[in-house]
Amino acid sequence: MALILGAILVAAGVMLFVLIPILRGEWASLERTGHEVAERDARKTVALRGLRDAEYDYRAGKLNQEDYGALKAEMGREALAAIEEPGETTEGELEAEIARAHKGLAEGRTCGSCGHLNVTGSKFCAGCGGPLGKGSADETLASG
Amino acid sequence: MILLGEFALWIALPVGIWGAVLGFVGGRKQRGDLVLSGERSVYAVFFLLILTSAGIITAFLTDRFEYWYVANYSNRELDTYFKIAGLWAGQRGSLVFWALLLSLFSSIAVFTNRHKNREFMPYVVGVLLSITSFFLVVLLFGDVNPFERLPFAPANGRGLNPQLQSYWMTMHPPTLYLGFTAFTIPFAFAISALLKGELDTRWIVITRRWTLISWFFLANGIILGMRWAYEELGWGGFWFWDPVENASLLPWLTATAFLHSIQIQENRGMLKVWNMSLVTLTFLLTIFATFLTRSGLIESVHTFAENTQIALIFLSFMGVVAGICLLLIVWRYPMLKSENQIQSFISREAAFLFNNLFLLGIAFAVMWGTLLPLISEWLTGQAITVGPPFFNRVNLPIGMALLALTGVGPVIAWRRASRRNLARNFRMPVALGMIVVAALYLSGARNGMALLTFGLAAFVVTIIFVEFVKGTKARASIEGEGPAIALLHLVGRNRRRWGGYIVHVGVVLIFTAFAGAAFDRKVVQTLDPGDTVTIESPFGHEYTLTYQGLSSPRGQNMLRQAVALMTVEKNGRPFGTLTAEKRLYLTWETPVTEVGIRSSFLEDLYLILENVSDLGGAFENSAEAQRATFEVQVNILVGWIWYGGLVVSIGSLIGMWPSRGQATVGPRTKIGAKQPALAAKGP
Repeated sequence: MALILGAILVAAGVMLFVLIPILRGEWASLERTGHEVAERDARKTVALRGLRDAEYDYRAGKLNQEDYGALKAEMGREALAAIEEPGETTEGELEAEIARAHKGLAEGRTCGSCGHLNVTGSKFCAGCGGPLGKGSADETLASG
Repeated sequence: MILLGEFALWIALPVGIWGAVLGFVGGRKQRGDLVLSGERSVYAVFFLLILTSAGIITAFLTDRFEYWYVANYSNRELDTYFKIAGLWAGQRGSLVFWALLLSLFSSIAVFTNRHKNREFMPYVVGVLLSITSFFLVVLLFGDVNPFERLPFAPANGRGLNPQLQSYWMTMHPPTLYLGFTAFTIPFAFAISALLKGELDTRWIVITRRWTLISWFFLANGIILGMRWAYEELGWGGFWFWDPVENASLLPWLTATAFLHSIQIQENRGMLKVWNMSLVTLTFLLTIFATFLTRSGLIESVHTFAENTQIALIFLSFMGVVAGICLLLIVWRYPMLKSENQIQSFISREAAFLFNNLFLLGIAFAVMWGTLLPLISEWLTGQAITVGPPFFNRVNLPIGMALLALTGVGPVIAWRRASRRNLARNFRMPVALGMIVVAALYLSGARNGMALLTFGLAAFVVTIIFVEFVKGTKARASIEGEGPAIALLHLVGRNRRRWGGYIVHVGVVLIFTAFAGAAFDRKVVQTLDPGDTVTIESPFGHEYTLTYQGLSSPRGQNMLRQAVALMTVEKNGRPFGTLTAEKRLYLTWETPVTEVGIRSSFLEDLYLILENVSDLGGAFENSAEAQRATFEVQVNILVGWIWYGGLVVSIGSLIGMWPSRGQATVGPRTKIGAKQPALAAKGP
């Protein structure tokens, strides 16, 4: 008896649990949300991270000045292309984002390590804590 | 509880199929309610499989021998510990266990993605529940139902194979299964990406940690298996190229290749078709490994299987999955085109590519050697088997090349390496490698392959060490930090990279241990009490073992035990004692060997009681039945496998540990953040 009761309880509970969304019309989101990494963002980060690695390799003495310069120029172009590549944002937002990125890069506020865009006058990145300005993405723009 | 478990297994199937269908339909029609119902089915199946597993374990714990599965894998005298492990001791329970772990991981994947990556989830749910449902169909209709009853209830069960009654054995299969099942998640995301046509790097970024988790468990499972073989099989080794060992190695090899080549896709947008193929192949190999272990298709030390019909079902499933994946990849081929080309064969990209090819080369050779008996029997009617010599001959050179790449990969430049780059980074490590080879040669080591391995090991370790030093210095100079803090931050900021390097060190240790085996020593001798046997270690010292005699104590669940006692001297000085045993279990006819091991950092003294002249007499503690044959081994560097395994574990844990700022790839400045997830809205 207890067994039959248990079985009925389990079966009914499972059915209810599974069917409720359909019965009550609860919808799960099926859209990509704004919190997520868009491909464009990912490429931008990869490009910036590549630059950071190259800089690190140069400072660690694994690349000499000549190789580093060539690599940096090439990657800088790619980073810029990634930033300027249209994403799934509205045109206005895109323009604003490009403008901000350009400005940030020019002023040395976009972190060369993590890509975080910092407020004007920042000395350290709010995203990763690294120092801004010297040796970050601004040099890249100059040579790219 | 047992009946409830059986009932739950029957309900799990319709729920699983329901959820799978809803996942696909909901994804196709963009119906959020259907998808939500599908996702809830994932949790429901997990709950039902917990009930099923609890039912099976209850049957074991309460000695319900009317169940075929319990009667064949347990007996009253078995330790509680092993009764619980009964869940994965045989084919039937293993299949339930597999489905349970898969539904556990599926639930975690669905739960952690309830507010993100939503566009992938419908098909992810569809794929995961399809695979779970397949296992449930096999369980219920494949003549392997764990709840099958016997026409009568035997008084006692047949007991668990004594070789499985080992601490390591309770850990080894679950660890491997965790690895196998965890890989289903990346596979499901890959299929979802193909179906949706979202073929950028996102699916890779989302599943990167899952891939690492799977890899971590696979690596540990394989090493635990080696440990079990070394301690329990009593053959004096840790790897025998046994079909089932090979089967567990195969997905690890392809998963390793996958882990490396996704980095190329992330960084350079290349190898997309390759990565899709690797994720599919690895998934298929996890299924292959699962069924090979439990199908009895190929004879092996693991012949714990009983139903070969299942092999056919599994092979068909693999065929269907492979076919579907192939069609999907061909369909999406235009979207999988490479964004970049390899610029030079002397570059990091090329190193990664070679690493992939070599890993697949080994995988292919191992696969070929494993399946040859089957293929040859099918073609010629006669099974041709290949032994360790084949595997060693083919895999050693490729293994050496891989080992070398372990060192080359991290320091060679991206895109194209200049001669200066090569000279700058490799001069010192190559020199150190050569010094090690020369030093070992001068001290008398003559095995070419082993010398090459030691040389390469020194080369790789130097490179990694220099990497850490240079990295820490660069960090310290850029950030103005002290060396310890700089090192900590260096690793913390790019855990995957530095964790990967630590894994490489572990792999080097394991390779070194394999090479050490070239210097193993072995003596076989028949002894009477009082006799001594002497064995010389390649390190120059000498062990003298004096045979004291046999005694026969009684153990739980054992009919008889014959324990041989040896006193050991190292260079004439007392070095403790060693015992080796023959055991006869209550329910098992063949005696089982228990080895004696004395481990030290550089070598193990390993004692096997090979034969007792009069085993029956020995079991009766007879004074006349004392003559016995022993095999004494000095196994060089064996311990380094376990140390290496530990280092691999630590490295992969660092690599997969969630870190702030790298959990997602994107920058923190986001545009147009929308509120996600469950919005109640009418259909």
